[in-house]
Amino acid sequence: MTLTLIGVNHKTAPIEVRERIAISREDLPETTRALSAVPGVVECMIVSTCNRVEILAAVEDSEVRLSGFLSEHFGLDPAVIGPHLYEYRDQEAVRHLFRVAASLDSMVVGEPQILGQVKEAFAVARASGTVAGQLEHLLQSTFAAAKKVRTETEIGSNSVSIASVAVELARKIFGSLQGRTVFLVGAGKMSELAARHLVQQGAGKILVTNRTLERARRMAEAFQGQLVPQIVPFEQLYEEASQADIVISSTGAPHPIFRREHGQAFLQRRRNRPMFFIDIAVPRDVDTAMGKLEGIFVYDIDDLQQVAADHMAERGREASDAEALIAGEVERFDQRQRTVNVAPAIVALQQQAEEIRLTELKRAHARLGPLSAEQVAAVEALTKGLVNKFLHPPMQALKQAARENDAVRLETLCETWSLPANGAYELEQEPVAEDSTSNATNSERPESAHMSHTSGTDRQ
Amino acid sequence: MYLLWLRVAAILYAAASVAVFPAVLYGMVRWRKTCVHLAGLGFFFHFVSVVEMLVQAHRWMPVGVRELESILGLAVVALFFLVWWIYDAISLGVFALPITFFVVFVPALGPDRYVFPSNGVRMSWLVAHIAALLAAYAALGFSLLASVLYLLQERRLKSKRRAAGDSWWLPLDWLPPLDTLERIAHTTLEFGFPCMTVGLLIGAVLVQESSLGAAYFYDPKVVASFVLWAVYVALLFVRRSAGLRGRRAAYLSGAVFLVMLAVLMANVISQVHRYGPR
Repeated sequence: MTLTLIGVNHKTAPIEVRERIAISREDLPETTRALSAVPGVVECMIVSTCNRVEILAAVEDSEVRLSGFLSEHFGLDPAVIGPHLYEYRDQEAVRHLFRVAASLDSMVVGEPQILGQVKEAFAVARASGTVAGQLEHLLQSTFAAAKKVRTETEIGSNSVSIASVAVELARKIFGSLQGRTVFLVGAGKMSELAARHLVQQGAGKILVTNRTLERARRMAEAFQGQLVPQIVPFEQLYEEASQADIVISSTGAPHPIFRREHGQAFLQRRRNRPMFFIDIAVPRDVDTAMGKLEGIFVYDIDDLQQVAADHMAERGREASDAEALIAGEVERFDQRQRTVNVAPAIVALQQQAEEIRLTELKRAHARLGPLSAEQVAAVEALTKGLVNKFLHPPMQALKQAARENDAVRLETLCETWSLPANGAYELEQEPVAEDSTSNATNSERPESAHMSHTSGTDRQ
Repeated sequence: MYLLWLRVAAILYAAASVAVFPAVLYGMVRWRKTCVHLAGLGFFFHFVSVVEMLVQAHRWMPVGVRELESILGLAVVALFFLVWWIYDAISLGVFALPITFFVVFVPALGPDRYVFPSNGVRMSWLVAHIAALLAAYAALGFSLLASVLYLLQERRLKSKRRAAGDSWWLPLDWLPPLDTLERIAHTTLEFGFPCMTVGLLIGAVLVQESSLGAAYFYDPKVVASFVLWAVYVALLFVRRSAGLRGRRAAYLSGAVFLVMLAVLMANVISQVHRYGPR
């Protein structure tokens, strides 16, 4: 049985290609079942996100071509998709899957969503009845490896999007955001996104203002379902701002609209309770002198981007530790897999020994004559003990040879003990050559550790 | 009988002293009414007690420390009510009512010294006195620490340099949020205050049994302790009323902490507080 992983991701395929083979959540069970019907596919699952579509399958032999399934199922010319496909086998497939689940292969390294997406894909495959022993074992190990990376490195500990950096900073000031008031000054996509993040974290009230009341109204409508924002006329900006804990400003004003004297008035009215200004306007809306006031914290777009970039660099540093962890986990998985593969030989050895024991016991009974129940039990225990002790060294040797991937030693042991060497157990073969249709070989795989931040969100 | 009225007054002043803090610090209207009513009743019984005491003595001049203390207490409460009547302000009650209680407490025990029934009881009061004051000192120290951490966190957030190689703030990632630090600083102060008050009160009970008498109030440690208590009240009051936080709150906490250190150091010259043989 061979493990195969084939797919495209944001590094190998442009959006135009990815969107043609993207599988919606509703279609995923049916597509997974269709894949499992491909001759030679024993177990399979499909991971489909906005940045990748990957097929993982246990196939009967390495000749099974999964790329053909993608072309046929989505009605694509193989020449269109072929150059963007990558394919991994066995240990490399395991490594890739571990890296994906641990978010080392993501556009934003360390983002947490991908693990949930892999889990969801696995759940769909399990519900569709297309996974059994081998993939079940592999996926459990994958989740454990991803969890280990998350807990033992700080790869996902810092925010890397502007909106989540703003939330993190607000948390540093206010602790819980429960019940805090957010004031959106000016209507803009970025400020809306930041405000949404704050609302998700528990912000209890939103005030919206804009020079054009209609735009303020439209922005307020965008929040419906979460909160009912209060629209504030722009003329009342300074009266209402003091009740806000967090002010997100993004007006198109050519000069600062919040100046030092405003900050002093706000603090006086708020009895020195701190205020956090997120200034994402260019030119800036908040005068730098205001940020010098005790209790007022001002972060402009450059500050936020700097924090995000620093976090990104931190993640990059953590990623190298994570890669080492993944390498260890892949090795451990292989060892476990090889030990599992040698199990039939061990069973055969135990059966042989048991047959010999029973035959010899029968012969001895004939010579000894009638024995009491206690005597029978004693002889049984004695023979079983002898057999177990005698079998222990060869069994350990078999397991050791499997763990060390020592095919010669394993063959010698099988010959010595007359065990079936018919391929019921398999050792890891030398890495197979990449499929000739595959475009992305291992050496070509782009490193994720230095991926630059290109998205406004953490989403995979 | 006057002693009974004085004791009733002392109890009412104690209750009013408790009520005045939520009334002033948190502006709770119900507590404000309760405080005024309790203090008013206390003043009434106190007045009856003083009049009866002087009538029984057939003189209008107070004689002895206890009579003087009782009348001084009456005067303090009278002033408190005068201010309340003219300015509708009870903020001064934060000082006036507990001070009145302290002053009235000893004469309310009676003309003779109260003697503890056994050495065990005396030791228990002594342990409670020390434990309450140490708890107050610990709370004050903790509050100062939280204020200093507040300053560090504030500077860190203001500096905007974070992570990356050039940042020396990184080891401070563990610092709690500003709001949490502020609440820790304030809550520990509020916890320490009743501890300090109870500790001083128990100290007053303990000292009235000794032969020190008025000399007790000249002891540098005792004087410093009462100064510390007053500064502590001022700190609580300013923090609450002016919403003081950040740098100024830290400086003020630091100042109170210095007074606390002075109180501890006063042991060297104190006649009342001696820890072990000299």
